[in-house]
Amino acid sequence: MIPVELYILLSSVMFTLGLYGLVTQRNGIKLMMCIELLLNSANINLVAFSANQPNANGQVFALFSIALAAAEAGVGFAILISLYRLYGTIDLDNINALRW
Amino acid sequence: MVDLAHYAPLYAEGLLTALAMLILFAGLFMKSKSMMGYVSLVGLALSLFLVLTAKTGSIFFFDTVSVDPLSQFFKATFIVVSLLVVIASLSRYKESAGGDEFYALLLLATVGMMVVSSSIDLITLFVGFELASLSTYALAAFDKSRRNLEAAMKYFIFGSASSALMLFGFSLLYGMTGTTRISEIATTLTANLGPASLIALIFVIAGFAFKMALVPFHMWAPDTYEGAPSLVSALLAAGSKKMGFAAAFRVIFVAMVALRVEWYLAFAILAAITMTLGNIVAIWQNNVRRIFAYSSVAQAGYIAIAFVVVGAAGTLPNSAYVAQTGIAGGLLLILGHALMKTGAFIATAVVAYMVLREGKTDPDDISSYAGLSKRAPITAFCLLIFMFALAGIPPTAGYIGKFVLFGSAINAGLVWLAVLAIINSAISLYYYLRIIMYMYLRPATGPKIVEPKGYVAALVLTTIGVIWIGVNPQPFIDYAMQAAAVLLPH
Repeated sequence: MIPVELYILLSSVMFTLGLYGLVTQRNGIKLMMCIELLLNSANINLVAFSANQPNANGQVFALFSIALAAAEAGVGFAILISLYRLYGTIDLDNINALRW
Repeated sequence: MVDLAHYAPLYAEGLLTALAMLILFAGLFMKSKSMMGYVSLVGLALSLFLVLTAKTGSIFFFDTVSVDPLSQFFKATFIVVSLLVVIASLSRYKESAGGDEFYALLLLATVGMMVVSSSIDLITLFVGFELASLSTYALAAFDKSRRNLEAAMKYFIFGSASSALMLFGFSLLYGMTGTTRISEIATTLTANLGPASLIALIFVIAGFAFKMALVPFHMWAPDTYEGAPSLVSALLAAGSKKMGFAAAFRVIFVAMVALRVEWYLAFAILAAITMTLGNIVAIWQNNVRRIFAYSSVAQAGYIAIAFVVVGAAGTLPNSAYVAQTGIAGGLLLILGHALMKTGAFIATAVVAYMVLREGKTDPDDISSYAGLSKRAPITAFCLLIFMFALAGIPPTAGYIGKFVLFGSAINAGLVWLAVLAIINSAISLYYYLRIIMYMYLRPATGPKIVEPKGYVAALVLTTIGVIWIGVNPQPFIDYAMQAAAVLLPH
């Protein structure tokens, strides 16, 4: 059996990659991918921890969060498509009229 | 066999969900959407009645949803905010094609916030959080102008990153404790608090701090509140932000118990920086909605004092009482701020309506408010009341909340924090008075307008509420104390 530490290592690497991408990338689609990485790293954690528990709460939680991530991607892409129709680009560096 | 009467305390949520579905479905067939607003209005009023009369003290769905005074306090706040926004939008989304979607999303966002305030389990908390967030992402982009979409995009990126942080924290908490019940997590963490649990708690707190717009997680708030449609900004600042507090009250208090006394200082510094930065930056703004956004950041700093008081009260002889008044003060300020900010953003909607009809482009600039007392007297007067209330001048809701909260901070031995908060209230008076000066002392730049009925109704109702709480605070204080008692160990 694979020890739980390895799963945590994998999920932390995914989480860090996602966070790094979120800070450095400016393309809308890439940002969506980074958010998916963040959410899925948490899912890996939940399922891995759940294997050592008597209850299945973690797996249930992961199922819920997969469904929610799908809904979130739907809303996100809808906003991106509307953005593209108005601006002709999804590069967020060009979409920055609101600032202090 | 499902016993429906057993679920009576949750009828309000059920009613609103069913109504949202019905509106979406009926919207497919109906040509005129003007009915939808009135249907939502009646539904929300009915569910407010259900929430206020519901029997508290029961737990549902395998110990995941609790109906107690705390949850009912938050639910009533959320429903009142949505009710005011719906009344105002009766004038705004009267004949527009997407009216049905607007009301359906608004109702679903309200249900999400209500679920969050009731949940005592991480799974329901997360689902409610996401329901409210996803609905408000779509609402922020509703008018599909350039500004709307930019605001919605920023809100979406920050919001989903914060939910991901929160979820990661939840997953670590689950791994450490083997349960998703908040109370069981508290017991396990108090028994053995390691560095790993600390990291998990920091992730969770960061996730909530995004929604509450605490510094340094506030960057999205001014952009979103400025760019989103005015009525949606009202919902975001007054409802969605308070949902962050509802979740934080449920979860962070667990953290405060587990972390014990040493860590409250970190929260104290966070609260101090948040209120000071919010107020200082607001002084330099010329866009009224940005001023309100930064003032909202500052108010989040005041409310966060409640967390500090609970942490600091731990060692005092009368700790339970001090902690209870601290939470009650936070709750009163949440209720007051929800009303004041809803009103303030609805007033900006009136000004935007007025200015955009004249063909000018930048409706939120402070110059648009010149001579508002001549051009739109009711709006100007209501905004005047909200400005005084936000600054904390008696007899208004803002004053009562601040009085109870700052008083509890002094009782908890946090005199420096209370003094800093009072100095900050004085600073905030500057930019509130600046708006009032523009409205009442500058000459008007255009003719008097007919203020739309829906906006006026919402503004007048909010003003009555803000003053009513200020003049007759005792029942509200009692209700808040009762709600605060839920969080304290028995």
